[in-house]
Amino acid sequence: MIIFGRNVRLEQRMTTPSYLLAVVPLASVLFALLVGAVFLAATGHPPIRTYLDLLDNGYTSFYGITDTLGLATPLVCTGLAAAFAFRMNLYSIGQEGQLYLGMIGGTWAGIVLADSLPGFIAVPAVLIVGAIAGALWVLVPALLRARLGTSEIVSTLLLNYVALNLVNYFIFGSTGFFRDPTTSFPQGRSVSENARLSPLSFFTEKVTNTYPTFFIAVALAIFLFWFMRASNYGYETSVYADSPNTARYAGMSSTWLQTSVLLVSGALAGVGGATYVVGPAGKVDPGLLQIGLGYAGIVVAALARYNFLAVVLAAVLFAGLRTGGNALQASSDPVPIAIAVVLQGAVLLFALGGELFRRNRIVISRVERAVAS
Amino acid sequence: MFVANLPAVAFALEARQVTKRFPGVVANDKVDFQLARGEVHTLLGENGAGKSTLASVLCGLYRPEEGKVLRNGRDIRLNSPRDGLANGVAMVHQHFRLVDRFTVAENVVLGHKSLPFVLATREIEERVGKITQEYGLPLDPRAVVGELSAGERQRVEIVKALYQGAEILLLDEPTALLAPPEVEKLFVTVRAMTRAGKSVVFVSHKLGEVVDISDRITVMRGGRVTGSVSRGEADVKRLAELMVGREINIVPRRAKSPTGEVLLSVSQVHFERDGAEVLADINFEVRAGEIVGIAGVAGNGQRDLAEVVAGLRTPRHGNVTVCGTPTAQSGATVARRAGLAYVPEDRLGTGLAPSLSIVDNLVLTRERGFLVDRKSAHDEAEYFIKQLEIKTPGPLTPTRKLSGGNSQKVLLARELFAVSGSRVLVVCSPTRGLDVGAVEAVHALLDEARDSGKAILLISEDLDEVMTLADRVMVLYRGKITLEQPGANANLEHVGRAMAGIAS
Repeated sequence: MIIFGRNVRLEQRMTTPSYLLAVVPLASVLFALLVGAVFLAATGHPPIRTYLDLLDNGYTSFYGITDTLGLATPLVCTGLAAAFAFRMNLYSIGQEGQLYLGMIGGTWAGIVLADSLPGFIAVPAVLIVGAIAGALWVLVPALLRARLGTSEIVSTLLLNYVALNLVNYFIFGSTGFFRDPTTSFPQGRSVSENARLSPLSFFTEKVTNTYPTFFIAVALAIFLFWFMRASNYGYETSVYADSPNTARYAGMSSTWLQTSVLLVSGALAGVGGATYVVGPAGKVDPGLLQIGLGYAGIVVAALARYNFLAVVLAAVLFAGLRTGGNALQASSDPVPIAIAVVLQGAVLLFALGGELFRRNRIVISRVERAVAS
Repeated sequence: MFVANLPAVAFALEARQVTKRFPGVVANDKVDFQLARGEVHTLLGENGAGKSTLASVLCGLYRPEEGKVLRNGRDIRLNSPRDGLANGVAMVHQHFRLVDRFTVAENVVLGHKSLPFVLATREIEERVGKITQEYGLPLDPRAVVGELSAGERQRVEIVKALYQGAEILLLDEPTALLAPPEVEKLFVTVRAMTRAGKSVVFVSHKLGEVVDISDRITVMRGGRVTGSVSRGEADVKRLAELMVGREINIVPRRAKSPTGEVLLSVSQVHFERDGAEVLADINFEVRAGEIVGIAGVAGNGQRDLAEVVAGLRTPRHGNVTVCGTPTAQSGATVARRAGLAYVPEDRLGTGLAPSLSIVDNLVLTRERGFLVDRKSAHDEAEYFIKQLEIKTPGPLTPTRKLSGGNSQKVLLARELFAVSGSRVLVVCSPTRGLDVGAVEAVHALLDEARDSGKAILLISEDLDEVMTLADRVMVLYRGKITLEQPGANANLEHVGRAMAGIAS
C-alpha cells in the first residue's frame, strides 16, 4: 500500500515483544476514546468533561462501581461461556438465549424448590438449575454439531429468538406458571425469599446493586482458569482446538469434546441468568432482554482474548461504560446513551484491530519502480 | 547513458551480496548467486539453509535488507511478486496456491492483471493447451483443479507462470510431493524450457535427484553460499559435505535376519473406504529386533494400513495382534496399551499438536489422570532435548517453531521412549522433508530402537530409506502386498518394478 509516497506494508512478527501485550489494549482504549470524542464534540458535549463524568459514574464513585459490578455479574458469566466455546473453535453465539433459560430455570427452582429449603441450599439450587437449563438449551445444537457437523453458529443464534419469545410468552402472552397471579400488570412471579441474596453494602449503610453472586462469577473465572490449564479435560480441549487430527490420533473423542464444551458453555451462560433470580430480579424479568448481555458476552470474550481471568476485567470495563453511559443520560446535560454504545463498539473495533499490530509490524520504505526488462 | 558497470556477460538473473534477516536469524548473509540464460541451476542445502529465502528474494516476495538483484545486468528493485513477473521471474511454491473449485484454465489466468469482465474461456483454454504441448505438460485445461494429483497441480502452477510470460522459473522443492514417474515428467518439462532459452532454478535438499538435471549447483548452509559447482564437477559426496559442513556416512546399513518373537502380526486384513476395497488380504509379521519396510508409491493404501494397525481404523475383517493382544476391533487406546506406538507421516498436523509446547506434546500419548502431570513431562523434555540434541529455546517452545528434523525427534522420542514402554513401532515416511543431517539422526534412532529389541514397521515412499533400513522389504501396490524379500539381498530392480505394478 502506498501512503504519502512511501511504501507501507505489514510483516508478520516472529515473536511478540511483551510490552505490546500491555500497550496494544491501552492504545485501543485511547483510540476508542478519541473516536468517541469526535461524536461528543459533534453533538455539542465537551469530551473531556463528559469522559470524567463517565469515569466517575461508571467506575470511581461508590454507586458507580457497585452498579458496574452488579451489571458485570451476568456479563462475566456470558463472557466465560463465549470464551469457553470459542477456545475450542466452537462459535456458539447462543449465550443470549441460554441466559434467558438460566433465568427461567432458576425462577422455576426458586418457586418450586426453595420454599422447603434453607437459604444456603436454595440459592445454589437456583444457580444449578439455571445452569442445567442453559446447558439443555444448547443440547440440540451441540449434538447436531458433534454428530452431523451442523454449524453451531446458525443453530444457537436461531434458538436465541426462540428463547426471547419464550420469555415474552411466559410474561405477556399467557397467565401461566411464571406470571405473577396477584396482579393484572404483566410481570413475573417472585421466587421464595429463601432463594434470594441481599445486596452487598461494602461495610457501609448504603444499599448497592452488587450481589454476592459477583464473587461467585469471579470464583468461576478463577476455577476455569486453573482447571483448563491443569486438568486432563482442559488438555484434551486444547489439543483438539489446535489440531483435530492430532486429537483423533491420540484416541480422543471429538463427539464428547464438542458436545461437552458446548454444554458447559451453555451452563455458564445459564448461571448468568440465574444470578438475576437470586439477585436483583427475583423473577423472570423481560427487562433483562433489552440489555443484550448474552451478545455482550461475546464482545467481552473477544476483548479478553478468551482468557478466563481477563474476562472479568473486560466485563467490568464493559459494564462500566454502560452504567456510566446510563448516568450521563440522566444528568442535567443529557448525553445520549448511543454515545456509550458507540464507545463500546469503538473499544471492540480497536481492540480487535490492535491484534493486527500485535502480530505484525509496519515496514515503511521508499517506493521504487520496478524496471521492466 | 554510458553503461560502464555492465559485466561482459550479463547473467539472466543475479543476486549480489544479498542479506535478508528475520527476527533472530540471518536467513541470507551476503549471498551471491548467478543464473545464466538457458541454465538449470540448483540451490542445494539443508532445511533452514536459506535457499527458499533467496528464491523469495529473487522473485520479489521478500525485499533484502542489503544487496541487489540484477536482471540481464540491470539493477531491478522488486517490491512484490508482481514486479518479479513484470521482469519475467516467477516462483512455484512448495505449497500450491490454486483454487480447488476452478478449472485449470481459470486458475492459470487467476490474478492476471488485465482480465476482461467476461472471460474469453475458449481462447484461454487454447493458449493453455498450446503451452502444455510445447513444454510437455500433459494437462486438460478444463479439468477441475480439486480433482488433480499433486503432480498435475504443480503442472498447473508451471503453466500459469509460463502463461504470464515467465522467462525464469523458480521451483521450490518441486519433487517433494511427486511420485518417481512424475519427477521424470517434470524433468522433461524443465529440459523443454531450457531448450526454449528459459532458465530454471531448482530449490532442493535432495542430493541424488538434482545431480542429473542441473547445469550448475550452488550449495548453501546457514544462510551462506558454501560452494558452487558446474555439471561434471558435481560429486555426490563432495556436495553432501558442502551441505552438512562435515563428512557424512551414506553407506547403507546391512540387514541381519532376526530371530526374536513375533510382536506384531497382521492377518487377512481387508479394509474398505467409501465402498472401495483399499486394503486386500494383508498378512505379515514383525519380530522383535526387526525392521519390516513397506515400499510403494503414494496412494497405494499406506496410510490406511498404518491406521488400521494403529487401531485408528477398523478393518472389515482380519486380525491385528500387538504383543499377543488382539486390537483390530478395539481402537487406538487398546492398541497403545498393548504396546504399540505410531509415528504418522503428517508430523505437525497429526503426530504433534503444533501450537502446544514440547512438554504438552510429550503428554499426548500418556495415560493421564484427572490432572495432567506436566512436571515429569518437563523433566522428560529436558532429557530428550539434551540426549537427542533437539535445537529449541526450551521445553515450553511450541512444536511448530521447531524445524522438521527437531519436531520429528520430539515425536520419535515420545513414541519410542514413552513411559508406557512401547514394543511395537509403526512409522510412516519418517524423514520426508528432512535434511541430510536430520535423516541420519532419525535413521540412527530407528536403528537403535531395532537393536534394543523393538519391532518396527516402516512404511515409506522413499525407496532408498526402505532399502537402507529394512531387514525385510515388502511392496504395497493397490492395497495388496505384491512382493516380499529379505533386506540383505533385496533386488532393487524387482522392488522398483513391483512398485510400478509390473509383475516380475
